[in-house]
Amino acid sequence: MSQPPPLTPASVVRLRREGGVAHFPGLSRPRCIHCARYSEAQRDELWRLLSSAESGAGLEEAPGADRRRFCLSVEDTNGTSLWLLTVAEEAVPQELFEWWRQAETQAENGSAP
Amino acid sequence: MADSLPAGARLFLPPYMLERIASAGSNHLRECARHTLVVDQQFRARAGAVILPQGSVKRGEPARYVHSAEQQQALPGRLVRGEGEDDSGDPAVDEAYHGLGATYRLFWEVYERHSIDDEGMVLLATVHYGRDYENAFWDGQQMVFGDGDGELFNRFTIALDILAHELTHGVIQHEAALAYVGQSGALNESLCDVFGSLVRQHQLEQSVDEADWLIGKGLFTERVAGRALRSMARPGTAYDDPLLGRDPQPDHMDAFVVTEADSGGVHINSGIPNRAFHLTAMALGGHAWERAGRIWYDTLVDQRLGQDSDFPTFATLTLDNAERRYGAVSQEATAVREGWRRVGVLP
Ligand SMILES: [Zn+2]
Repeated sequence: MSQPPPLTPASVVRLRREGGVAHFPGLSRPRCIHCARYSEAQRDELWRLLSSAESGAGLEEAPGADRRRFCLSVEDTNGTSLWLLTVAEEAVPQELFEWWRQAETQAENGSAP
Repeated sequence: MADSLPAGARLFLPPYMLERIASAGSNHLRECARHTLVVDQQFRARAGAVILPQGSVKRGEPARYVHSAEQQQALPGRLVRGEGEDDSGDPAVDEAYHGLGATYRLFWEVYERHSIDDEGMVLLATVHYGRDYENAFWDGQQMVFGDGDGELFNRFTIALDILAHELTHGVIQHEAALAYVGQSGALNESLCDVFGSLVRQHQLEQSVDEADWLIGKGLFTERVAGRALRSMARPGTAYDDPLLGRDPQPDHMDAFVVTEADSGGVHINSGIPNRAFHLTAMALGGHAWERAGRIWYDTLVDQRLGQDSDFPTFATLTLDNAERRYGAVSQEATAVREGWRRVGVLP
């Protein structure tokens, strides 16, 4: 595993939550964060959260069943994947979870913040 | 009450627990110790093995322990209701307690299985996990239930079949340990739905015609356009909602979904074996747990069922078990063969 690449205005961060006791196509769609819409300070904060999820990720899959996971990725504007991480939801910082929730709201309203 | 705790529950206090009782003055900790439970708030997500409390030493009697995470994500949380204790007044706690009892009862009364490991393993559940947490899972040692967000999902203990589904994950872990990916993972999921549904049918004393064959009925709030999480009778028809999307389950191998999501579609392609079970049970009539359920249970504990079994392997084993128990030309064997044939798994 490696740390996420620095986030530039050209970066797109994708957050996808999946798994759980049922698969809901509507809830497991990836949610996009277009970094161009955020300040440098916000991008740094987002990078710190991705990095924190990376360091919290275990080497082995958590035991059990019906657990949820987050799939995190960083892409450039062409959609080329630069970084990918799948992590148990327990390892995702609350603040990153809030970004995920926020991304949903944006998609619903169809407007940038 | 404490007097009706399984005998073993209080007799064998592990050394660390004795230490704690000796060093701690609080009534709360003493209470926990009385139930020989590990309450360690530092375990947010348990990675390694944790010593479980003593299970039930008497076959036919469960050892249930229901905790509250109090909206945190620490497991197991605070013990609220131990085996034999009265209703707590907290619906989630009491639903979990009674649901574990109903699940224990099906496995014991019908299949003579003494809890998750057939050796009386403790039935450990945690409710009120997280804030607005809309999921339930098996963590490898215990069941965990969220309260739901109230928007789309109610509390997860509301559905008896979901409680039983999570407990069955434990049973599978102690038997074939079907790998949680692809077809073996979908079989793992399907077996949990099968026994989840059977627990509810058994509790309600329903015949195959009376049962609704839904999984997780009551979990959705009224805002959701859907009846349940899954339908075993008609996979792919349980919900169709603007936010949740549409039930993605196929009902035939022709529509098998190849995907990386959901551990290779474990909750998606489970629709196929779910329907095979439903068809088998309907063909046999009466109570689904008696013959169809017995054949599936025989297969679940069959030593030949490997971790990486695929649908045809599992189907062939159910057929073999039906033939062994009921005869090669029996109604049961025919029903099983026909069930798998109609979903495209056996020719
Ligand atoms: Zn499951």
